[in-house]
Amino acid sequence: MNRHPDLDSGLADGVAIVTGGSRGIGRAIVSVLSSAGMDVNFTFLHDQAAADELVASLPGKRVTAKLVDIRDPAACTRFAEQVCERTGKIDVLVNNAGIIRDNPLMALEDEDIAAVLDTNVTGTFNMTRAVAPWMVSKRRGKIINISSVAGEKGGRGQTNYAASKGAINAFTRSLAVELAPRNIMVNAVAPGVIDTTMSQEVREALGETVLSRILLRRIGRPEEVADAVWFLSSRFADYITGQVLNVDGGFKME
Amino acid sequence: MNQAGISEEEIAAIYPKVAATMADALGCDLEKMNPGARLIDDLGAESIDFLDIVFRLERTFKVKIPRGKIIEEARGDLSEADFEKSGILTEAGLVRLKSFLSEIPADRFKTPLKVSEIPRLFTVETFCKMVLRQQRAAGTAGGPAPA
Repeated sequence: MNRHPDLDSGLADGVAIVTGGSRGIGRAIVSVLSSAGMDVNFTFLHDQAAADELVASLPGKRVTAKLVDIRDPAACTRFAEQVCERTGKIDVLVNNAGIIRDNPLMALEDEDIAAVLDTNVTGTFNMTRAVAPWMVSKRRGKIINISSVAGEKGGRGQTNYAASKGAINAFTRSLAVELAPRNIMVNAVAPGVIDTTMSQEVREALGETVLSRILLRRIGRPEEVADAVWFLSSRFADYITGQVLNVDGGFKME
Repeated sequence: MNQAGISEEEIAAIYPKVAATMADALGCDLEKMNPGARLIDDLGAESIDFLDIVFRLERTFKVKIPRGKIIEEARGDLSEADFEKSGILTEAGLVRLKSFLSEIPADRFKTPLKVSEIPRLFTVETFCKMVLRQQRAAGTAGGPAPA
C-alpha cells in the first residue's frame, strides 16, 4: 500500500525495472513502486509461482513479471528493449537480485564464490548496461542498487557476499560520477538484518546475539527497505547521488 | 573499406535524419548542425554523448554499430602495429585515416596524432558515412525513407 498518500512522489507515470522481484525485499519494492503508480517490470529466476502470486496480489496495478537470468547480458538487453518498446522509457532501475552462499573462506567451493559474484556483481553490471542507454537518451533516471551492511562491516562466513556488496558500493559511486551529467542519480540501499527467507539461515545461526548488535533491537522488515528505495526513486531524492543508505536499525553502531 | 562507393547523393539523403538524431542526443538546435560540424569542438559533445549518438543511430536506422567501429574500419587491413605505435598513429596509419575520413579537411590532421584524439576529428558527415556503411553491410541499403 502507498504509505505516503498525501505526498506526490512524482512516480505515478514512471516505469521501473526491479530485478529479483518475486520474493523478499524485491517483492516489497515491487509492491511499493506499483502502489506509487509506477509501471513495474520485475524479473525472477526460479520462483514462477511466487512471481504469479505477486502479480495477482496487486490487482489494478501495472505489474509485469518476466523470467530473466541477469547473468546473461543478452537476456538483459532483450528485457530492457521489450520494456522500452512497450512503455517508451525506463525511469527507475532497482538492481535487487542477489544470492547468498555463506561459509568460511576455507570451506568455500569454487562455485560458491563464482555464483555469488556472477549474480550480485556481474548481474548488476549486465542489467545496468542494458538500461543505462535508455536513461541517458531521456536525460533522466534513478538507479538504486541493493547492497548490504556486509559491504562495509566484516561478517564471518561472508567473504564472497561481502566482496560482492563492497563491489556494489564502489560500482554505485563510480557510476554516479559517470551518469551525473545526464541527470541520472545512482545510489545504493544497504539493508541490515531483514526478515526474509534469504537471511533466515544467518538469523538462525546468530540467534539472539544478532539483536544485541542492532540499536533498535529488532529485525527489519522488507517493507522498511522498500520505503528507502521508494524515497531514492522519488522526486524527493533528486539531489542525492553516489550514496549508500544504510537501512539497518543502527547495526553494530555501539 | 569501400570509400568510393558512398556517393554525395546518398549522404545528402541520409543527412537530415542523422542530423536530427544527433541534435536530439546533444540537446542542440538543428540549425547548429551542418555536415562539416565537428562533434567535440563545434557541437560540444562529450564521451557519453558519443555513446548516446551511436545508441540512437542504431535504433533509428536499425543497424548495429560496434563501439570503436570508425577507427577499426579506418585501420582496415593494416595490422594494429602498422596503424599505431604506443597510441600514436604511424605514417601509414595517418595516410589511411585521412583517406578514410575524406570528408575532413587535411589540415585538421595534426602530426603526431594520438589514437585517442581521432574522435575530435569526427563530423556529422562522418556519422552519415558510418550509418551508410553499416546499412550496406547489413544488406539494408537505402534504409528508412528520409524524413
